[in-house]
Amino acid sequence: MILVVDPHSGIPVYRQIVEQIRFSVASGLLEPGEEIPSTRALSAKLGVNPMTVSKAFGLLEEDGVLERRPGRPHVVRRRRGKSIHATRLEQLEQALRPVATKTRQLDLEPDTAVQIFRRLLEDEER
Amino acid sequence: MEFVFETNGLTKRFDEVTALDRVDLKIGRPSIVGLLGKNGSGKTTLINHLMGLQLPGEGSVTTLGRPSAELGHDELIHIGYVPQEIRLLDWMTVEQHLHYVSCFYPKWDREREKRLLDELELEASKPVGALSTGNLQKLAVILAVCHHPHLLVLDEPVSDLDPIVREKLLAFLLELLREDEATILVSSHVLRDVEKVVDWVVCLDEGRVVTDSALDELKERYSRWRVVSKNGDLPEIFSEPFVIGQEVSGREACLLVENGASQIDAFRSTYGAEIVERPLNLEEMFPVLVQKKSSC
Repeated sequence: MILVVDPHSGIPVYRQIVEQIRFSVASGLLEPGEEIPSTRALSAKLGVNPMTVSKAFGLLEEDGVLERRPGRPHVVRRRRGKSIHATRLEQLEQALRPVATKTRQLDLEPDTAVQIFRRLLEDEER
Repeated sequence: MEFVFETNGLTKRFDEVTALDRVDLKIGRPSIVGLLGKNGSGKTTLINHLMGLQLPGEGSVTTLGRPSAELGHDELIHIGYVPQEIRLLDWMTVEQHLHYVSCFYPKWDREREKRLLDELELEASKPVGALSTGNLQKLAVILAVCHHPHLLVLDEPVSDLDPIVREKLLAFLLELLREDEATILVSSHVLRDVEKVVDWVVCLDEGRVVTDSALDELKERYSRWRVVSKNGDLPEIFSEPFVIGQEVSGREACLLVENGASQIDAFRSTYGAEIVERPLNLEEMFPVLVQKKSSC
């Protein structure tokens, strides 16, 4: 698992960790049952306060993304197919929100925006 | 002992200058606390009080469970201190100085000493008097950490260090937190460094505590809004209480907001505007934290 955090970004580091792990799980980069580095190891690797990592893991546990095991590192929780799909939709919606704002600011019609988006997706396929 | 250090109504005046003004602080559990403030805001005075080097005019200071005026052997062996003005014994070599200081403590970690000398590239055989300010700072830090302190206090510890060494030092502070469960208080102007390692921020302004919060909470509290109106000009001034800084120009505005998350939807519909929200980092937040005054 590769995580990159920017302590200067203004987004709290714990949130950056939570979002990246959520994305990794949703996109299949992290698989159900896979072990996550321990709080200590991850905080040493990222060069951040261990409390930050702890906080991130705590939230991911609450959300059911990670599972705690006593005395051992966290693992990615096995989830039903439906909830993985729901997570992916959530991720995409989050990414598209600023694009929707920009579309309105540029005074463009939704259909125009959708056309551009479709073309971009098709370009990638090629 | 509940708190590693605690002040209650701490006030200190020097003639007409009030250096500390009714400071109430409680710092507990393993933590890295950033002590910030403009020059002359009282940071060093506060640190001196914690160390028992200066005594309160009014109020109280307790460090490791004891009034700071009474700190004795049992507390001092658990405290590490790196002052802003480093005064060491010039005529000794680095190695000799380390050996000398190690004799004051029941336990001294020679492995840690050796590793730090190596990592920070400090020559053991060099006379202390011949060290540059940067190297003096390095030595002062090593002297403060080899006895595995529970409380480490650093007053501007990195100002003369190059970026690579600063990085190593900060990484070491995190290691202290992880391995020793130390509480670390670091006062520094280099906010980018502070931001990387602290979990708690205390800001002083003219001797008063103006911020005493978790860093994450501060990042979530303040943000910048780029506002663009969809219908005509925006008001010349926004008087909403959560707007703490603003720059308005026709249809556009840049606002600094505090706890704006719950207000954003209402604001959008009130002004018929699009809002792009951007969080602030510590450097951007500093003017706001220190004086609650700001510009975009």
